[in-house]
Amino acid sequence: MAKRSELAAPLVLWVDGCPEMTQFGTWQPKIRGRLYYNWPRGTCEEALRFTGSEQLGLEPYDLVIIGAGVVGCGLAYQLSQYELRVLLVDRLHDVGEGTSKANSAIIHTGYDAKPGSLESELLQEARAAWPDLAARLKIPVDPIGGIMLAVTDEQERQLVAAEKNAHANHATDVRILSAAEIREREPNASPNVRGGLLVPGESLGDPFMASIAYAEVALANGVDILLGTGIAGVELGQAPGAPLHHLVTDDGHRLPARRIINAAGLGSRRLADGYGGGAFDINPRRGQFVLFDKCARSLVRHMLLPMPSAHTKGVLVSPTIFGNLLAGPTAEDLPLDDPEATHTTVEGIRRVMEGGSRLVDGLAQQPVIATYAGARCACSQGSYVIRYNDGAPGVVTVTGVRSTGLTTSNSLARHLVDGMQKELGLELSSDTVALDARPESAWPGWWRRPFEDGAPDARADHGCAVCFCEVISEGEIRDALDSPIRPRTMDALKRRTRALMGRCQGFDCQVPLAELVSGHTGIGIEQLTNNGPGSELVAPGQAVCPEEVSA
Amino acid sequence: MSNEVHFKVAIIGGGPAGIGAAVGLAKRGVGPVILIERRGEVGGTPMGYRKKPGGVPTFIEWTRGRVVFGEELAGRLTKRLAQTGTTIRLSTQATKIYPAEKRLTLLGPEGLEDIVVDAVVLAAGAREQTPAEKGWLAGARTARVGFTRHVTGWLDRHGLLPARKPIVVGSDLIAYSAAAKLCALGSDEPVMIDRRRSPEASFFERLFFRRWTRPDWSGGVSTVEIKGHGSPTHVESSNGREWQGDGVIICGQLVPNTELALMAGMAVDLPSRQLQLARGQALSQPGWFAAGNVLGGFHGAQWCYFNGCRVARSVARFL
Repeated sequence: MAKRSELAAPLVLWVDGCPEMTQFGTWQPKIRGRLYYNWPRGTCEEALRFTGSEQLGLEPYDLVIIGAGVVGCGLAYQLSQYELRVLLVDRLHDVGEGTSKANSAIIHTGYDAKPGSLESELLQEARAAWPDLAARLKIPVDPIGGIMLAVTDEQERQLVAAEKNAHANHATDVRILSAAEIREREPNASPNVRGGLLVPGESLGDPFMASIAYAEVALANGVDILLGTGIAGVELGQAPGAPLHHLVTDDGHRLPARRIINAAGLGSRRLADGYGGGAFDINPRRGQFVLFDKCARSLVRHMLLPMPSAHTKGVLVSPTIFGNLLAGPTAEDLPLDDPEATHTTVEGIRRVMEGGSRLVDGLAQQPVIATYAGARCACSQGSYVIRYNDGAPGVVTVTGVRSTGLTTSNSLARHLVDGMQKELGLELSSDTVALDARPESAWPGWWRRPFEDGAPDARADHGCAVCFCEVISEGEIRDALDSPIRPRTMDALKRRTRALMGRCQGFDCQVPLAELVSGHTGIGIEQLTNNGPGSELVAPGQAVCPEEVSA
Repeated sequence: MSNEVHFKVAIIGGGPAGIGAAVGLAKRGVGPVILIERRGEVGGTPMGYRKKPGGVPTFIEWTRGRVVFGEELAGRLTKRLAQTGTTIRLSTQATKIYPAEKRLTLLGPEGLEDIVVDAVVLAAGAREQTPAEKGWLAGARTARVGFTRHVTGWLDRHGLLPARKPIVVGSDLIAYSAAAKLCALGSDEPVMIDRRRSPEASFFERLFFRRWTRPDWSGGVSTVEIKGHGSPTHVESSNGREWQGDGVIICGQLVPNTELALMAGMAVDLPSRQLQLARGQALSQPGWFAAGNVLGGFHGAQWCYFNGCRVARSVARFL
């Protein structure tokens, strides 16, 4: 697919800046797609506001992808390489905002997958492709490796089987370590460690940047993106052969589509009911995480994994690519009627601390800065459920993609494109001017700091910090606001820049940051939201004027 | 980093303690001194507490029998600082410190800069505990779960309310002053919850704020979860009690900003992040001192100022 790769950058690592510098903060190639937010008047610039389907053009879409998580975005990126009219639509207000944002950010080797399964196959393909993909899309990846720790005699006995399984998945560099070898590599590992399994290929990734990068390139290549738009149902076309379907949005707009891809994750069941898709059950499973301060990062050198049980892979302790330490997740089945119950519980956090402390000594002493939870899209029919012509011709269901979704996003997309050619008769012709990379001129990201690189054309406002904890400058915030998927919520901005994500959790910077965003975009400061309409930073209405009070 | 500049003393933080140190050093004729402030103005926390909103004295000190507001106090301190001849770097942050070499990397509007000094006063102040840090507060990650600094930020600078029906978590003096400010400016009477059986603020402190607020107090709460999608709708305790509200204000239990020292390998207790101090408020590395709220606890601006003055004596003696 390497066509107009504009760069030959090395693997982007968070530790070093990139050598070659170009003008920051601009996306030099023309952006061919359209981006709209289905928001009320005044909550974003009028030019970004979705008012009706005529804004998207009258011609029906060849494909509409419902769900802009890492699966949907990866597919949009892949499809944007061809001459197709594609729409990516999501209920939420940024790409990768649902399940995709709250994973443990591991680029898996697939050593523990079930050999011969589709998941294992996709993971193996992904393992080989990630270094190149990360370099092209500027997704930070750090191959620090993992160690699976056995802390009981029974777990120690399971190591042999785990190693065998890894080798069956062609992860030949996986090997068993003795307790002494582990102590040498991980001085802070729990004294109960009996042995472990070294998995050199496991890497840390940026949990947010993958979805954003895919979507940015897709948008530049002409994929339209519609955010904040829930799909209420599907009106199936009745014509024989390749009928024209219509998606009906929550507020009644009709979007014509020849093919529909249901990548709606936790919402995929409800959507599938609308087009009569085959039987599958979504079993949302919540995972709670505890994020430690950067001062805890030096506690471990690898990602430390527990031995998995039948139910879950267990609580792991891992550095993050941002330099923090992360423990989690729990595995709690959520009621089906509330798949969005992604709140944390005191009990869950306690269990994460307990699980983490089984692997790492002194973890409980470390300062915690935040806790969060996500819901895995677990499917009772197994992982990676893919159905073509599901319920109606031209409809594809992709569901049951769990923790490996980030890793396999691109290989899954290729697999789906192949499948759609075979099963749906999708005809492809390459778009000769499509990008397959984020250009060097794209907004550099938190891992590449204009002021640190000493770039000659770095702007003066790249030196003034607005977020003190993560040292994020005003210039970086402005550049992020101008990046192709115009982020217009504080959460979207935070995933791109890391502002508000530091140890003070917005204590110092929330108000100044809101002022900066409001000033740059022209959105009223009282209209700014955390994650879309309904989550405004302040209560409606003005405070009582002080003069009135004193009078 | 070839353009290393040398100073006698660097003061990290331009709040009352930092200003106190600068004034104290100037009195003893120590110089040149550089004061590093990450915000755009010196004065620190008191600067955020202006007199105007509702006339609620939310940040006050009694000096010579007279009430002084935060802003006014900070103004006085700033004036004193201006007379000292201290080099002041605004919008500049120490991003890295090298304790043994006494070298600091600063990031400011002009980019990165390294300075070398003979002594350092850490006066970085404190911040409020995050909800996660409390350990007994969980639930949905919604908007409008903030700190008292947001209350002053939104009200004073924009005339906007961070909550119409606030739920205040914590019960110290700061919590009461935030509740008073919110009430005076149009919010409903706040709900105030805490783990403690009785409020942390003293009887007299509570009495002082009764003119503006009489919060609906619930003590002895074991764990609390925030409920709501997007915005908070209510909070729920583990024993099934519920309080309605559209915003949560987290107060109290300040955390000292000692991470810079901690990550540079100086002696800091965990998980409290208290600096380990020797005589004269010296840190574990020779030539490093600390002053003000970075020492831990919750102190007023005047205490911090005088503490800064006092540490200047230790610094001068060291030099």
